Amino acid sequence: MEIAISIILGCCAVGAGLAMIAGIGPGIGEGNAVAKACEAIGRQPECKGDVTTTMLMGCAIAETTGLYALVITILLLFVTPNMFINILINTLG
Amino acid sequence: MIKVDATVKNETRYIAYFCLILSVLMQSVFIFLQKWTYAVLLGNLLSIAVAILNFFVMGITVQKAVTLEVNDAKKLMRSSQNLRKAGMFVAVVIGVVAPFFNTIAVIVPLFFPRIAVSFRPLIKDKKEVIDK
Repeated sequence: MEIAISIILGCCAVGAGLAMIAGIGPGIGEGNAVAKACEAIGRQPECKGDVTTTMLMGCAIAETTGLYALVITILLLFVTPNMFINILINTLG
Repeated sequence: MIKVDATVKNETRYIAYFCLILSVLMQSVFIFLQKWTYAVLLGNLLSIAVAILNFFVMGITVQKAVTLEVNDAKKLMRSSQNLRKAGMFVAVVIGVVAPFFNTIAVIVPLFFPRIAVSFRPLIKDKKEVIDK
C-alpha cells in the first residue's frame, strides 16, 4: 500500500514537472514579440500606441499557454494525489 | 513612481470590466446549479484580482520594454513573465489549498482575460462602425 501511494505521489510530481516545461514557451514568445515591437516603434514612432495595444493583447494570449501548464501542475500537485489515493484505498479496502 | 501609459490603463480597464461580467456569469451558474457558497465568491474575488493584476503588471512591463534596446526588452519580458508566473503560482496554490476558497472558482477566472481578448476585435469593430 505504501509503495503504491509513493508511486502515485512520485508520478504526480514528475507529471507536474513535465507540465511546467510548457512554461518556457510563453517567456520566449513574449520576449520575441516585444523585441519586434521595439523594432517597429523604432521605425515608426508615431505608431507606438497601436503597437503597444496589439502587443498587450498578443502577450495576454501567449500567457494563457503558460497558464494552462500552471493549472495542470497545481492540480497534479494538490488535487490529483488525494483523489488517486482515495480510489486506491477504496479499491483495496 | 512609474507613469502608467493611457493605453495600458484603457486595456486594463477593458479586461477588468470583462472579468467582472464573466465573474457575475460564473456566480449565476453556481447559483443555478445550487452549489454556491461563500467559498465560491471568495475564490472568484481572489482569482480575478490576480488575473487583472497580472495583466496590469504585464502592461507596465510592455510599456517599459518598448523604450529599451531589443535584447534588453527580450530579457525584461522573460524575467517579468517568470516573476508573474511565480506570483500567480503562489496565489493559486493558496486558493487551492485553503479551505475557504472553492478550487473551481479560483481556477476558471484565470482564463477570463484570454476570453476578453478574444472578444476584443468584435467590440473594436463595432465601435469603429458606430464612429463612422
